Amino acid sequence: MRQGTRLLMAIAVGTLGALAPIAPVGAQAPSQAELARGKYVFGATGGCGCHTKPKEPVNAGGRRYDGPFGTVYATNISPDRETGIGAWTDEQIVTAIRLGRRPNGERILPVHPYTVFNGMAAEDLRAVTAYLRTIPAVKRANQPKRITVPLFESVFLPAWLAAFAPKETPPASAPATGIARGEYLVRAIGHCGECHTPRTMTMATDNSRFLAGNEKGPEDSVVPNITPDKETGLTWTVEQIAEYLATGNKPDGDVAGGLMGEVIQGTTAGYKDMTKADLLAIAHYLKSVAPVKNRIGK
Amino acid sequence: MRQPAIRRAVVLCSLVAIATAACASGGEKKMSVGSGDVVADRQRLMKLNGALWADAQAKGKAGNWEAIGVNAEAMAINAEHIPMLFPPGSLTDKSKAKPDVWQKWPEFETASKKMVAESVKLRDAARSKNQEATEAAMKDFGRNACGACHTPFRVPPPAR
Repeated sequence: MRQGTRLLMAIAVGTLGALAPIAPVGAQAPSQAELARGKYVFGATGGCGCHTKPKEPVNAGGRRYDGPFGTVYATNISPDRETGIGAWTDEQIVTAIRLGRRPNGERILPVHPYTVFNGMAAEDLRAVTAYLRTIPAVKRANQPKRITVPLFESVFLPAWLAAFAPKETPPASAPATGIARGEYLVRAIGHCGECHTPRTMTMATDNSRFLAGNEKGPEDSVVPNITPDKETGLTWTVEQIAEYLATGNKPDGDVAGGLMGEVIQGTTAGYKDMTKADLLAIAHYLKSVAPVKNRIGK
Repeated sequence: MRQPAIRRAVVLCSLVAIATAACASGGEKKMSVGSGDVVADRQRLMKLNGALWADAQAKGKAGNWEAIGVNAEAMAINAEHIPMLFPPGSLTDKSKAKPDVWQKWPEFETASKKMVAESVKLRDAARSKNQEATEAAMKDFGRNACGACHTPFRVPPPAR
């Protein structure tokens, strides 16, 4: 009887251990509420889909991005200890997300939008970090980047970051309601400006035309102007905007596709999983930004 | 007596020859499904499906669940035509299709079959007058049915 009890306990402990997130040694286990918050914020970023190849394991990296400087491949951010971020401390993960530095001090290329993720509140960063550890670990070695511009990482990139990269400032705590909440979700979490804001000659986002659309978006996409300009911008109602972000359905019956379709769908979570209140907050914020006349496409 | 026999033989041979020629030409020529401008045809079909879907959503908001069945039925029939509207070599300047359509043809065909399946599911739910099932089928229809192709295979239009 006692042997049986011990066996059951061993199975229970083993099962719980297998289900628990992979936490670094000595770290305090996150609460369920924190993990839920982490998953929510993860979804509000679009599910970190840049780190997931379509129809492949979540966060395992390998997705290719071509830029004027060469080609990079998204890294494995699953909790695998050898090829992913499983051996990183929470602080190291947070530093990578918001400051773009790996534990060895190496600078991450700003294809990962740390200049805007820098605007995330500390509590959200902690929660996302905890959630990232719950996603199944995948052993997949990172593909090396191919930089074609001489001295790009040693000279050009630091100079570019210092001179041109706009940087968000993190709030003391994440705004909970209203337009401030919408602004926080759009700017820092959803990083909408990374695709929807045109870029200058230096490839920095032109924030004087924030969200005014981009003819040459990522992966050759044409990204619409979502400022409230009546002729060239987004003229949907706040309800229609919230509906679109929740379902992908446009008012004319068309359905989102491309990268927007991906971020709405997300990976383990996406924009579609945000609360109605947050989607409306985003919509109200989009209605409040300065209208910019910028016709995109035909 | 001999002349009619020859005439009959000539007529018979002619009929066989005509039938053979017809069969041969029928085998070579593919069934025509549209106006001849396949890009315009498929864009019309997509717009038609968009209108049907917008109408279905309006009916859902009005609580007219059963009426959604006819929209779903039409979308299912339309979706069955999708693969034949993307013949090889039909990627023109006017087309918003990505080359992936032809490079990953089995995936594209699977996605269009998913559109048919989701439409049939929605139709059956609506016809059964089961509001809960219809609402459930409606909830993810856009992403699952239309989005299954739009996300990987279409260059998104800069729609407003």
